[in-house]
This record gives sequence, structure tokens and C-alpha cells, in this order.
Amino acid sequence: MAHRAYGVSAETCLADIQAAAFRLEAQFSRFNPQSDISRINQNAGREPVIISRTTFEGLSHALSFSKRHQAYLDITIGPLVDLWRKSRETGEPPEAAHLRQALSRVNAASLVLTPGQNTAWLPFPGQSIDLGGIGKGLAGDHFLELYQKHGIRSAYSNLGGHVVALGCRPDGSPWKIGVQHPRQPDCLIGLVSVEGKSVVTSGDYQRFFTGRRGEHFHHILDPGTGYPAQSGLASVTVVAESSTAADALSTILFVAGLQTGLDILNLHPGCEGIFVDQAIAVWITPGLKDTFIPADGVMWTIL
Amino acid sequence: MIGWIITFLTLLVIGIAGTVGWKNLSKEHEEARNLALNSVDFTRLKDGTFTGIYGGGMYGWRANQCQVTVTSGRVKRIDLIQGKEATGKTATQPDMLYERVIHAQSLQVDTISGATLTSKAYLQAVENALLRAQTE
Repeated sequence: MAHRAYGVSAETCLADIQAAAFRLEAQFSRFNPQSDISRINQNAGREPVIISRTTFEGLSHALSFSKRHQAYLDITIGPLVDLWRKSRETGEPPEAAHLRQALSRVNAASLVLTPGQNTAWLPFPGQSIDLGGIGKGLAGDHFLELYQKHGIRSAYSNLGGHVVALGCRPDGSPWKIGVQHPRQPDCLIGLVSVEGKSVVTSGDYQRFFTGRRGEHFHHILDPGTGYPAQSGLASVTVVAESSTAADALSTILFVAGLQTGLDILNLHPGCEGIFVDQAIAVWITPGLKDTFIPADGVMWTIL
Repeated sequence: MIGWIITFLTLLVIGIAGTVGWKNLSKEHEEARNLALNSVDFTRLKDGTFTGIYGGGMYGWRANQCQVTVTSGRVKRIDLIQGKEATGKTATQPDMLYERVIHAQSLQVDTISGATLTSKAYLQAVENALLRAQTE
């Protein structure tokens, strides 16, 4: 995680950001048995769990995206993620029966959040929340609030490839955010100039394993099929004011594919996309035509 | 005996000349090696064609002149218009170096979205590569 902030209180602000990062990790992580998310999962099918206000607000925000685009993003995808995590070790995809069983437990609409009491409840045993497709986004928006609280006007955070930019560079020029090439590890597919935007990329190259028969199994799961999404895209980058929206939409569009993805993007005004298909052709939405610069030799089209 | 003295003096002269020559050669190489390259802000380039001249160090061996074409704020072309390489007398490939400069402008980013490594390490590697390109 890398942060950079400019201004009088930059140093104290960055210390606050670091502390917030630890706090959020302790609340959101599925690997910490004491985290809010772990406690909700442990009590699935049993009882509602009181969670922190930050987790409650984050879950509510995540749930609204999940409910709106449930076919492509589901925050209760935990059982499937666990199944594929085991597959990573064996090199074999999960058995069909196991996949069916896991899929039957994936249903974000069943998550009960009770405002006022700050409780969350998964009503069926075996259900579990995994914030993989949206957690960094929630953290990013939290960091943005902290920067603003400290009076910082120029800053960015990079949460493992998830970029949140506040304002512009100290000299007033826009931030220049490189977009990773999905097939060449040391190259960019292009760069995008932004002011006060988050830039988030979801790609099939970020986390994956190779099956025994040479199959490429990446980490972005399609909640419809239970398999890694195969929509013809290699990566999707979303540029949006909200870090959570950029995070959620990059996953949603990656799973949905170019055509459906565009329709979805139109439902979210102010959000723009850079789609890279399997042939490494680049498609950008019209709002980026003046701010996107492709790397040399990259084929690109304005949608 | 005189023969030995002549041989000794000849060797001495050759030795002194060699040492002085080597020192100057080292100095020239040192100068070239330590040539400071200032970082260019690729975000603030004006459109047009610009000529750059370098005197070539203490003996003028590395003198060259190039022409840089900037279109829409980006370096589109670099041509060598004067220098040894322009007449094909050297194995150095300035074209390759120029390609790198043209490519490098796209690397002038603040941070990278979607990079699997942490951005800092990533940029560090790029920076190291650029430093190597400067000294080689």
C-alpha cells in the first residue's frame, strides 16, 4: 500500500491513514477470526451479529451494488471463493456437486442488515461474505474522507493496484495514472489523467493458477456459473469519483463483458471504462477520449 | 650499455605518454559517464520541432545534434541530424536509445492501476532501468 499526500498536515494525515488501514483490515478481513466479517460468517444460520458502524455502512454500500447487479457481483460469494482456494492447491477445478452446493449458498439478497441496531445476519448455514470485489473500494473512500478531514487537497493512495486520487498534483496538473498491460508485466496499456477520481482495474492476470491440463483459472468468479468469469475481457479499468463504485464496477463489468458492461456503465453517470479484450484491443468510453493516452502500438477505439 | 639506456628511455617515454594518454582518456570517459541528465517533465511539452545540440565533451568526440518533434504534447520523433552515428561510422544505435525515450514518456506516471506488484517497487524498477539506460 502506498500513500502520498501534500500539504501542511500531510505527515499526521498519513499516520492516520496507516492506522485506519490496520483498523479496516481488522474489521473486513475474512482471515482474522475476530473481524466483523468473520463473526458474521461464523454465525451464519444462527443469529444476527452486532458490528462496527464502519462495517455496517460499508456492507450497506456494498450490498446496494450487489443487489443491483447480483448476476455479476455477489458479496456472499464466500463459499465459492473457499472452494476455488482449495483448487489452487490441488490444481484441479472443484467438482460439479461441490460447485452446485456452494452456488446454492450465494445470495446477497438474503443478507439482513438492521439499521439502528447495527446488526448483520446471514440466515442460512454455510453462507459467508467475501468483500474481495469491493473491500479495497470501501477502504479507498474511507481514506479520501480522512485526507479531506486533514485539509489535504492533493494526495493519492494505491491499495495494491487500486488507485484513489484526491484533487490534482501539487502543481495543479492532473494525476497521471498508468494502467497495467494485462499480458506484459512490465508494460502499461496506457495512462489516464485524472483529478479527484479513483482508477481501479480488474483483470484475469492479477491472481490465478494454472490447472493440471494447462487451464488458466483466475480469481474473478462469475456468481452465475461458479467458474472464473469468461466474458472475453482480459481487464477492465473503471474511472469514477467514488472508490467503492470504481471497485464494484470494475468487477461487475469484467464478469459482464463488453456489451452488457457498457449498458451497466450507462446506469452509473460519471463512471467511465477502459475495456481490454482477449486480443488486447482497447475500448474506451467517450468520457475518456481526452484523458486516455494509449501506450505505443496499442490498438484502441472510442466506444 | 648505450643500447640498454636507449631501450629504457624509450620504454619510459612510452610509459609516460601512455599514462598521460590513459588519464586523459579516463577523464574523457569519466566526463561522459557523469554527464548529468536532467529529468524532463513530459507533461509540459510544447508542440513543434526542436533542435538539441551537445558539444561532445573535452575532445568533442561525442558531439551530436538532434531534432525532436512534439505533436499533441507527446514526443513523436527524434532524429539524429549531426554526429558520427549519422554518417554510419559507429556501432552505437541511437535509434534504439531514442525509441526508449519516446517510450519512456508514457512511464512518467504517478502510480499504476492494476499492477500486481506494489506500485513503488514497480516504479523503482523502471527508474533503475532508466538510470541504466543513461549510463550504458
